[in-house]
Amino acid sequence: MRTIFHLDLDAFFVSVERVLDPSLNGKSVIVGADPQYGRGVVAACSYEARAYGLHSAMPIKQAYRLCPNGIYLHGHFAEYVRFSKAVKSILTKYVPLIEQASIDEFYLDLTGCEKIYGSLFMFASKLQKEIMQNLSLPCSIGIAGNKTLAKIASDFNKPLGITYVLHGMEKEFLSRMPVSAMPGIGRETTKSLLAKGFRTLGDIADSSEDYFNLAFGKYGSDMWNKANGRGREFLSKPAERKSIAHEKTFAADEIDKNKIESVLFRLSGKVCQALRNYNWQSATVSVKLRYSDFITLTRAKTIEPTDDDKIVFETALELFRKAFTRRVAIRLIGIHLANFSEYNEQEKLFTDKDFMRDKMLHVVSKIRDKYGYESIRVGMY
Amino acid sequence: MEFKVNSIELEKLLNKIIPAVPTRTPMPILENFLFEIKNGLLTIYATDLEISLKSSINVVSDENMSLVVPARLLYDIIKSFPDTTVKFLTSNNKLNVITDFGTYTLGYIEANEYPEIPSFPQKTDEDVQEISMNGLELKKAFDKTSFAIGKEEMRPAMMGTLLELSDEGLRFVATDGHRLVNLLNKKITSQGLIQYIVPEKAISVLQKILDEKDAKLYLSKSHISFKLSDIELITRLIGQKYPDFKGVIPLENEFSLQVKTKEIHDAIRRMLLFATTSTRRVKFSISASAIDISAEDIDLGSSANESVMCKYNGEPLEIGFNAGYVNDILSHMLPEKEVVFKLNSPTKAAIVVPSEEKETEELMMLLMPVRLNS
Repeated sequence: MRTIFHLDLDAFFVSVERVLDPSLNGKSVIVGADPQYGRGVVAACSYEARAYGLHSAMPIKQAYRLCPNGIYLHGHFAEYVRFSKAVKSILTKYVPLIEQASIDEFYLDLTGCEKIYGSLFMFASKLQKEIMQNLSLPCSIGIAGNKTLAKIASDFNKPLGITYVLHGMEKEFLSRMPVSAMPGIGRETTKSLLAKGFRTLGDIADSSEDYFNLAFGKYGSDMWNKANGRGREFLSKPAERKSIAHEKTFAADEIDKNKIESVLFRLSGKVCQALRNYNWQSATVSVKLRYSDFITLTRAKTIEPTDDDKIVFETALELFRKAFTRRVAIRLIGIHLANFSEYNEQEKLFTDKDFMRDKMLHVVSKIRDKYGYESIRVGMY
Repeated sequence: MEFKVNSIELEKLLNKIIPAVPTRTPMPILENFLFEIKNGLLTIYATDLEISLKSSINVVSDENMSLVVPARLLYDIIKSFPDTTVKFLTSNNKLNVITDFGTYTLGYIEANEYPEIPSFPQKTDEDVQEISMNGLELKKAFDKTSFAIGKEEMRPAMMGTLLELSDEGLRFVATDGHRLVNLLNKKITSQGLIQYIVPEKAISVLQKILDEKDAKLYLSKSHISFKLSDIELITRLIGQKYPDFKGVIPLENEFSLQVKTKEIHDAIRRMLLFATTSTRRVKFSISASAIDISAEDIDLGSSANESVMCKYNGEPLEIGFNAGYVNDILSHMLPEKEVVFKLNSPTKAAIVVPSEEKETEELMMLLMPVRLNS
């Protein structure tokens, strides 16, 4: 039996806005799109705003109709990232296994930690207080034997709640909840569940797995298991990086081919530097091109795995020259590397120019790590 | 125009020619066959501008003419017929293909739009070397070497097999910069030293069409023609300087490791399952009577280890290789009962040769190791 915490920062974006501007305390605050503009959705709203029936992902126009006196903010995304990192650094002090599920959600594996922290309920309370005192951010914590249940538990008593689903009580805990409380059961599934007479998670648990398998396929079986209090017990590894990209938006739209190509050269250097720092090679180079009228193209080419600025630049240049066909200025250009393999220590037969270049580039990387990116430049030949 | 031909014979012919028809090309006319009828002989051509294939068949026809017809459509329809007579008839700028089953109408283009195909031997005073060689022997040489051909477009010279004609013999070399195969056929010799790089495409087609009959090779500076009994392949050569392969063949490899080819090959194939997929690294720990071969994948937590009996006369050595490369080399050495690895140090090239030398042939493969210290 494992012990999983789900820590969810309450109305995270709003909480951060309130730290930045305490006058927002106690008011209906909505972070999201501009209601004047009329498009987009609510990213987060305060509990005061929720009293008006608002919730996240609601169209901003609808929110404005329900709560015209609310304070509508655009949001400071960089601040949210900073605060999220600060929360994570508090958690890493205590917990070795953390899975960050999103900017404001963390799964913590505390299996066997009773011996260190004593009562886990008290430990949860300590975490909650520490985050509140240091960062003024409220959070709710759910404790259970698996991830799904922990998430439902953290949602059970918000804000500033702690819910511990004791082992053996899982079914009981879930039985009276509406089916929509289960993560993964959205509007459509709820509809079809209601149509079949399933109102609570208990109704699902009392049915048979075979029935759910038939009615909903593989997903049905998963749903039935979750309603019975079972779920993933292990945190997933942080997702591996799938791509490295650098982009540049021109201060003023640019049509001079030479200038754009020189930017491409700099971007090639940057992405390759990042690539070498991971000790990787890339086999797919893509170029992204956005014209001033926002028409965006990407062109990709697969090459032999490389980490050489020159090869990446030449490939990118070829792609760019093929793609840049309109007589329209360019707003943004970017290089994107993907399809990674580990840089391997395969020795080469011919100690030619390429061989020496390979050695040189790895030395350049080391110099840059020590003295900064601009300390040394790589020429083309 | 009108001519008749047997469907099975025509299918056989088209089947041999169609590999030269490109699937994607900026020149749509290349997706066609060129048909040329002269004195009752139908000659069919196809080219992708790198290689071209041509073959002939006798047909019943009274006139001489040529036309360009859609390759894949024609091939697919001919392929679908059982043994029957096919009549070709042009009328109203259309080509009618008539059989007992029905009539099939295709568009065609005038022959003068088709690109020119070089022909051999050329009348010009250019030096053209002529070699005659058994088809299977030539196929074997390509089979043994082509796996090592490079795929990097940045190094075009390595994207083909080198044919080097000298007083030592006819040498076939292929390398991708990590491994190298060097096969010398001592039966065919010539004065001086001339190098030709044959692109990979031509070789892969030749491997399919070469048979036990003799093949005639006409080698010029820019093209080679391979004349087989019933088909001719002309390929452009790669106009680059081949890397100095002789300079990288180590002379100081004095540690010799003799081992049964099949035993070590089987072991390597099992190691390949356990080696990390990105590097495919295996470790050879060599002592006087046995090689310990091991592989591991740290991410998956799997590992494997085998001992293979050997005869070794050098100092104990630990050396890493890409198991995929070792597997390639050994599977092309398989007809040999025993192979010898000649080694020097964990960072120098290993030489792999058959344990028994042959009178008319020298085969040597080179493999660069993978560093172990990481």
